[in-house]
Amino acid sequence: MSGRLRIVIGLVTLAGTVPGLARAQESQFGITGLGTPGRTESVRARSTGGAFAQFDSLSFLTEASLTTIGSLTATASLNTSNRDLEYPTFNTWLRTTRFPSFTLAGPVAGIFLGGGFSNYLDRTYSVVTRDSMILRGTMQPYYDQITSDGGVSDVHLGAGFRLGRALSIGFGVHLLPGSTKESATRTFDDTTTFSPVHQIAQVRYEGYGLSVSALLNLGRALSISVYGRDDSHLNQYVGDTLTNSTNLPNTVGAGIMWRPSSKVRFAGSATMTTWGDAISTASNTLNWSAGAEIGRTSPVRFGVRGGQLPFGPNGTTPTEWAVSLGTARQFARGHGAFDLGIERLERTGVGLTEQVWSVFFGLSVRP
Amino acid sequence: MKWRDGMRRALPWLAALGFAACTDKIAAPGECPAYCPTGMITVVDTVLPMAVYGDSAFGRPVGYVNPFNSLTLLADALPGLRDSRPIFRTTQLLLRLPLSADTTTSQVNGVDSIRLRLTILRRDSAAHNLTISLYKLPLSIDSNTTFGQLVGPFTDSLIRRVNVDSVIALPGRRNAAGDSVLVDTTNQRIILLMAVDSAHLPIDTPDSGAVALGIRVAADTLASIAIGSSENVGTGPLISWYLRVDSLGIATAHRLQTRSPAFDGFVYDPPSPALDSDLTVGGVPSARSVLRVVFPQIISDSSRLIRATLELVPAVAPMGITADSFGIAAHAAVTDFGAKSPIDLTHVDTTGVQIGTTDTVKVEVTRLMRYWIGDSLAPHTMVLRQTGEGGNFAEIRFYSSRDPAHRPLLRLTYSNPFPFGKP
Repeated sequence: MSGRLRIVIGLVTLAGTVPGLARAQESQFGITGLGTPGRTESVRARSTGGAFAQFDSLSFLTEASLTTIGSLTATASLNTSNRDLEYPTFNTWLRTTRFPSFTLAGPVAGIFLGGGFSNYLDRTYSVVTRDSMILRGTMQPYYDQITSDGGVSDVHLGAGFRLGRALSIGFGVHLLPGSTKESATRTFDDTTTFSPVHQIAQVRYEGYGLSVSALLNLGRALSISVYGRDDSHLNQYVGDTLTNSTNLPNTVGAGIMWRPSSKVRFAGSATMTTWGDAISTASNTLNWSAGAEIGRTSPVRFGVRGGQLPFGPNGTTPTEWAVSLGTARQFARGHGAFDLGIERLERTGVGLTEQVWSVFFGLSVRP
Repeated sequence: MKWRDGMRRALPWLAALGFAACTDKIAAPGECPAYCPTGMITVVDTVLPMAVYGDSAFGRPVGYVNPFNSLTLLADALPGLRDSRPIFRTTQLLLRLPLSADTTTSQVNGVDSIRLRLTILRRDSAAHNLTISLYKLPLSIDSNTTFGQLVGPFTDSLIRRVNVDSVIALPGRRNAAGDSVLVDTTNQRIILLMAVDSAHLPIDTPDSGAVALGIRVAADTLASIAIGSSENVGTGPLISWYLRVDSLGIATAHRLQTRSPAFDGFVYDPPSPALDSDLTVGGVPSARSVLRVVFPQIISDSSRLIRATLELVPAVAPMGITADSFGIAAHAAVTDFGAKSPIDLTHVDTTGVQIGTTDTVKVEVTRLMRYWIGDSLAPHTMVLRQTGEGGNFAEIRFYSSRDPAHRPLLRLTYSNPFPFGKP
């Protein structure tokens, strides 16, 4: 093993030790709800609009896809995004950098095992508002800042089994731990007379889910994937006090991949999540994606996706669509690979449009 | 190889780009209520009429600061209001002094001149023709001496009288009699060097040069000053004796001896009124009021307290002149020992009191309350005292909790707990 490869393995392992940093793309649409749902996708799958996720063993969206992994593989990703927010009365911008996922998977004694973490819900935001109130007989202007930093991770462990040459199935267990550092601050303009209020709390989250998936290969060129996932409740604690318990949705999805040649792949997928059945103020969502990968050692990837977001003002359903582009480069004689992707995303809801540029870096190692 | 070389060159740039990208910006103006958290900060402004209890005043007849240990000697001549006169007694002189390096001493046989230094720490800028008169008093004065006992000496034992304002107006601030004035604008002080004729203060062998002196002040109006006392380091009265010493009959040597007061204080009339059920703060001897405070448990987090105000209703308007306006300090008590409660000098809130008004006095006690909320072991006991205790005759009396209609109130502004952990 070369020195460079050891360094790469060390970096990937380091990324795996910091699940607290695992976040994904935030959105203002998640502020009024539980948060912004994360995307369980590797950089490769993200570069194809998410269309390859159900067939990508390192995305961990389906455990059945673990059976396609050749050897022990670790992958981690870095995501930086710039968001432009367009409200009717003003515009602003935001920027974040996150480590959204880490996965370690490989064959062990005829079974394909995998584990890692990804983002389930992101609850990172900081909202500043301006208002005034009458205190001691005079109008006192103030600023409020409500901040939440953190989210809920999806720590998953799964196994895939081959049932013959054509069919694979998989099962997964998902733990949903998480925490957010939250603060609420009111600062009066007259700081001499009225002291600022600063309240802080650490909110802890607990939940779990189960998933099952199947991958059917119809010859060498065509694959079909289906999966389902049942998440239980998300319990929220402040200290040891249970402050809220929320139902979590069920998810079903299906995908199809077509490989007309060894260097060309096309895929499409659709996913439905029953957020609206779980939470009265949310909406069920249907998301779709389509993408392609052309080439082997330095492929070109592109894709498009669209769909809905579960949380919007007054029960409305925001929509989103995105286009993405990416590539990869192998090194160390195929033992490692860099993945690079870029995505342009637009989310639209009542009174708000978010336009996001995201750049993804991924590092995969096969020792 | 080309790819590797390219990567090697690009790595520092990628690292720099990565660090730049890692700078998050997540704060944005909110478009409420559509895109704001559902939880809100709610603020409550309430009056707690029963918050103060167990309140009493202490400090008479023996005050926390008395004339004999005050940092200032008060000299007033305010007809119909009060008359106050500083008094002090110096230590004895050495009547044999060495003139050379050996142990031989020579007899002091006379006084060339005497100079008295007084430091005026406060005067009413509206007072004109400020005049200071120096009287010789009996050596028997001490902390028990009363105003009435010194009426005689203050009538017939005048030594010198100096118009301070006229000396200040002279070139060089020095008059023909040898009096001079130094005006310290930095520290807002006036230093008066008063020349005293040796004929007025001869060295009296039985007393070995110890003298007792008294001071009266006069002005066209508002004759009220504060002179530094010996407790106020560097500002107390100081007598410089320029002595003649016998030099074995050959010549006369000159030596200087300075003496500070062994005792200083001031006598005044009328006497301070006794304490009653009201909450008295200030005056001479200085009085303090001790208040116990109880507040609701909902304010369990000091960071949620926005403002706390103690409202006190004066029972009578504080008496005095404009210059007597003073400050009130509300200290946390380190421990609650009633009248002997030691005060916490670090947790204190202050306010000002104007003479002649009966407006409600409001003391902002936010810092004090935050300290109490943050330290569960701290007694919720507050001590009200005058700033510059013992340096002002003015005092104020507030209604206590025993008067239901005018009892002290605590007005609190705080925020309710934020609903963390709820979507």
